[in-house]
Amino acid sequence: MLSLRCLPAAQKIFSHCLNAQTASLKIGSRCLATINSEINQKKTAFPTTTNIVHQQIRFTSFFNKLTGEQLWKGVTSVSNAGKKRGRGKGNRKKFAKNLNRGQVIGVGKANIIWPGLTTPVIRGKELVERQKLPEDPDREARLIKIRNEMGRFRPLKLSPIERGWSGSKMPGRSIGPPDPLHGEMWEGFDTKVLELKTVTCMTGNLGRTRRQSAFVVTGNKQGLCGIGLAKAIDPKAAMKTAKNKAAQNLLFVERYEGHTVIHDFFTQFGHTKIFVTKMPEGYGLVCHRAIRTVCEVIGITDLYAKVEGSTNVKNVVKAFLIGLMKQKSHEQLADETGLNVVEFRQETEFYPEVVAAPIVSRDDVKEVPDYKQYCFDNKVVLKKKKPPPFYTKEPGWLYHLVKMENARNHDKVRKQLRFEYGFLRSFLYDKYPECRAGPVKKEESES
Amino acid sequence: MMKTPLITVFKQIGILSRLNQLSITGNRRRLSDSGAGGVDHDIKSRFYEPEILTLLKKLTRPDLQKIFRKRKLGLRLEPPEYKFMTTEQLEQERKKADARAAEKLQMPPVLPPRKEIDEVISEDPNLAGFERSNIVFTDITFGKSDVNRLIVIRETNGRLRKANWDERFRMNQVYFPAEGRKMNPPSLFKQENMLRLCEEQRYEFLLDLACIQFEPDDPEYLRITETVYDSIDEAQAYELLRSTRHYGPLMFHLVTNRSIDNVLVENLQTDRLEDAVWAISLYHLLHPESKSKSTELIPGEELQFIKSYIETDSKKRGLLEMSLQTYLNTREVQVQRQQ
Repeated sequence: MLSLRCLPAAQKIFSHCLNAQTASLKIGSRCLATINSEINQKKTAFPTTTNIVHQQIRFTSFFNKLTGEQLWKGVTSVSNAGKKRGRGKGNRKKFAKNLNRGQVIGVGKANIIWPGLTTPVIRGKELVERQKLPEDPDREARLIKIRNEMGRFRPLKLSPIERGWSGSKMPGRSIGPPDPLHGEMWEGFDTKVLELKTVTCMTGNLGRTRRQSAFVVTGNKQGLCGIGLAKAIDPKAAMKTAKNKAAQNLLFVERYEGHTVIHDFFTQFGHTKIFVTKMPEGYGLVCHRAIRTVCEVIGITDLYAKVEGSTNVKNVVKAFLIGLMKQKSHEQLADETGLNVVEFRQETEFYPEVVAAPIVSRDDVKEVPDYKQYCFDNKVVLKKKKPPPFYTKEPGWLYHLVKMENARNHDKVRKQLRFEYGFLRSFLYDKYPECRAGPVKKEESES
Repeated sequence: MMKTPLITVFKQIGILSRLNQLSITGNRRRLSDSGAGGVDHDIKSRFYEPEILTLLKKLTRPDLQKIFRKRKLGLRLEPPEYKFMTTEQLEQERKKADARAAEKLQMPPVLPPRKEIDEVISEDPNLAGFERSNIVFTDITFGKSDVNRLIVIRETNGRLRKANWDERFRMNQVYFPAEGRKMNPPSLFKQENMLRLCEEQRYEFLLDLACIQFEPDDPEYLRITETVYDSIDEAQAYELLRSTRHYGPLMFHLVTNRSIDNVLVENLQTDRLEDAVWAISLYHLLHPESKSKSTELIPGEELQFIKSYIETDSKKRGLLEMSLQTYLNTREVQVQRQQ
């Protein structure tokens, strides 16, 4: 069976064996290499004995009819129906590759020096001649490698610092200080988006109209903060308006030593109840993400808050701000109760430090209120008991515990031995030097 | 029913060979041979005399701000706890804190170095070669203290003897480990490492650690504390130890060594006339043969008292006289300003 796959090879064969008339070779839109079996029989020079099979070779296809752009579109695009089903999104999305990448004009498979294109014409006083160098065997592999690397990794749009609560969505992201107004430049201010959502309403002639609603918080990290809500057709416009509204709505929040709330408090707005706890420096913000964002903007760095009930973002933020506004100073607490407010710190070994004394002290108080209970407005935090991890019910867990009982201090002993002697050794080492961990040295084993 | 003592037997070849080495090389835990100074030990046993103790406690100058200063405890930071309190409750709480402060200021005892234990209980040649290792018998009955616990050793040659201090330390630490105490002392107690820490003025850290690791009559403890005290005296860094439990022993050490001149200079420079007087009275108590002892302290005549010490007993007379003069001058200026 003779198959003709390559045009130059076929030409060579036929020009050698046959007349030009007997083999018709057309290069064009329809190329059909035909070998007449009759002629073959007449001309005995051709050594074939069996029938030669016809094979069609098309030298045109959509590959050389369509442009590169059209070809890539065919590969990367998803049909409308597919889009509706969510195809071609996220990780599975394909990207067009730039196949020219890594290629240089004048540099090709045949490694030829082209004076004036790849090298200067005159080097020193000599004229550079066209020259063929040996082929670079790695060139092909290098190009393929560059091609393969393309279209695989999609760099993130946002740096980790700029990222919001989730992906590239707006909530949690910073949108800069409010716009300057009457010479006020809002220095040190920063605005963060809390909510950006589509809202709709039905109109008589337009039907369902969509708008974007933006809820933002702005602040200077020194205790000032304000919230703003605005709607617009364009999300950017909505955020901008909300930001500027927030700047007109500022309130000042007292902080304790510039890092946390003055005291624990309970606060409520609608069905949202929040228990806020004061925390020491370095604790961080352990709370609902909306509260965390508001704290970042105000300049509170350490706090624990538990939200009970509804977690509607607007209600959470409002409840938290109301709670912050209602905070009392230690002096106020002392005057209200007529009692001393005394601080006990672990780092000062619980030495009683009076932080506020009342103007009129009452010694006839029958029941001294509990400070925490007083601050939480007699509300009690729901503390759910954490269920034991699932694996503690497995039979293997008991086996593990028994096994670990013996080995519970091994790591400490190893550490101590390494510290003391530099290696692991048995208690018998003094008498028998081979009683040590690790391979025995040759000299020792010989001696 | 008679209560029988609970005795455990400790037989380990490794430990045994260590113990054997110990008996050969002497006190293994001793990191350096430079022992206690040449002060006679009788004077050290006077530390617990009530008069001396009172003076030392006065000299400590308890300061609650310093005793309860912010410390890094190596614990996770907790939010401060607040309480509403009536004035009466507050007073009670303060009294409790004062009691805690007194406890924290309790001075570590100053004792003469202990004597080696070298007591053979019985010799039993029939038992020689019976065992290939020494056997340690420890009485771990409840209620015995580390000091009076019975610990004896049956040696391989059949001799039954009392354990020496080092063996006692090991056995006590095995059965009743003290928190923070290591079986082998940390290498920071080596002389060269200690001097480096002294240069950084981490005196309190060193002294606290020595209190945990050693018994107060351990020669090693005496060496460490005395090195630190001398280093403090050299640097005149008394303020670092004032209002800590180590100030009393520091002063006691300086007075027994007749080197209170630097302290007096510091006292006069920092307007502590009373402290200087107390230091000199302590000197008189511990050194009754001193010449200035004849000058009695009359209230209002403290300067005369100090002057007589400077003239007869001080080693740095010129320096002291100069500081006294400066003290007087500054006082005059202050009086003039007030008028």
